[in-house]
Amino acid sequence: MLEARHLGKSYRLGEADVVALADVSLAFPRGSITTVVGRSGCGKTTLLRILAGLERPTSGALVRGEAGAGRTGVVFQEARLMPWLDALGNVAFGLRRRLPAALAEERSRAALDMVGLAAFADAMPGQLSGGMAQRVAIARALVTEPDLLLLDEPFAALDAFTRRAMQGELVAIWQAKRPTIVFVTHDVEEAVLLGQHVLELERGRVVGFEPVDLPFPRDPTDAAVNGHRRRILAKLTAPPPPHAAGGPAVSSASPADKETAP
Amino acid sequence: MPRLSTLAVLLATLAAWHLASASGWVSPFLLPSPRTVFETLIDLSVSGVLAKHVLVSLRRVVSGYLLAIALAVPVAVLFSLSRPLRSMVEPLLEFLRQIPPLAMMPLLILWLGIGEAQKVGIIVLSCFFPIFLGVRGGIAAVDRKLIDVGTVYGFSRTEIMLRIVLPSALPSIVVGLRIGLGYSWRALVGAELIASSAGLGYMIVDAENLARTDIVLAGILVIGLLGLVSDHLLRALIRRKVRWLAEDLEMARA
Repeated sequence: MLEARHLGKSYRLGEADVVALADVSLAFPRGSITTVVGRSGCGKTTLLRILAGLERPTSGALVRGEAGAGRTGVVFQEARLMPWLDALGNVAFGLRRRLPAALAEERSRAALDMVGLAAFADAMPGQLSGGMAQRVAIARALVTEPDLLLLDEPFAALDAFTRRAMQGELVAIWQAKRPTIVFVTHDVEEAVLLGQHVLELERGRVVGFEPVDLPFPRDPTDAAVNGHRRRILAKLTAPPPPHAAGGPAVSSASPADKETAP
Repeated sequence: MPRLSTLAVLLATLAAWHLASASGWVSPFLLPSPRTVFETLIDLSVSGVLAKHVLVSLRRVVSGYLLAIALAVPVAVLFSLSRPLRSMVEPLLEFLRQIPPLAMMPLLILWLGIGEAQKVGIIVLSCFFPIFLGVRGGIAAVDRKLIDVGTVYGFSRTEIMLRIVLPSALPSIVVGLRIGLGYSWRALVGAELIASSAGLGYMIVDAENLARTDIVLAGILVIGLLGLVSDHLLRALIRRKVRWLAEDLEMARA
């Protein structure tokens, strides 16, 4: 169980305080998939980076239950592979220091096999297509057998067909290994297809939390799926309530979001 | 393998050289024919004179170059790690970088004499900065996003430096190493021209004093060839050790 308690993050940008995240509280039950959806600059990447330990919250705290911190795997929007290592080397990148080399290689091959790239172990990142590179990144995140898997718009740069296939693969992997998954996306359809819970963020604030109680794999044309999509879209595109209408400083993207914004 | 057009340019240059001296257009004293130079080269090789000078020069280049690497790489890494150190010392280094190593020769001769130490010193001075800047630049340009990956895995600062920062700085480091090697040859020959009793530079000045332009030209050819060969060897070494860099190697010929 992972729990965010009143998480807030603000930056000082010149004279203005930029609020990237304001008072986000949420529990991520063990083995669940939560998707976080919102437009660019809503604070979703900041939330994920805090969960990943890449940034510290300026207020609130992160509570990780069950005997301390387990392993965390992160998949970023770009594959972020080390260009000097082949696919296998990249998957093994985070493993080497805790495992003997032979065992690390065996595990890494198994992880590559899981994402369907067993034949490309020797390929260098420059030789891989976007989808293949992202598969390697997923294998790299999975190989440590994380109990928390964080994904930041991992399929946003992929074409629609590849994206659909990868969504299916992610669900299959989740069903097989049951890590706790937090998946950030700006695509409402993707959020509904993958999430057991969908967290809606707008200007750093939680504007909705929607349980999606449908069996996997889900069909994007399914009526129930579309019902959820409509409801979430309505909430995200509604004019903000007066008390939340901060100045321009609040609505501008946080530095962390700018980094991955297209 | 050199391509046909490359070969044609080389042959044309050789032919023009030959014509210039054979036709009497340029005095054979000022520009001996390729054939004379070639024969001189053979003579020098057979007598062992050439080998002696080449060995002396090579030894100086190798020791100066290695010493410069041993100095420049740690200093550059240290600078990259410490912002205060950078802001304190970098302006001074920037100033020193503007001084041509040969301008330091008179001082170096006074300080180190005219022996090996002075030759090695001038090489270190001349190739320190290309190597230093290559390492510094490479480290400064590291993609923060790759460092995030290491942070997620809980890497320490040392691990991030060794496993992410240095490997990704390698293309820039390699460029610095290659430029540095080229500079060290140039500086060495300059140093040997000014004060020396052996080495290829010395061989050239000595021949000039004896009015042997054929030996001067032979020496120049050998210096050029050795530079080419050493650059090729360095590239071959890099290509074997760091395969993923192979396509970056063609840039920055120095």
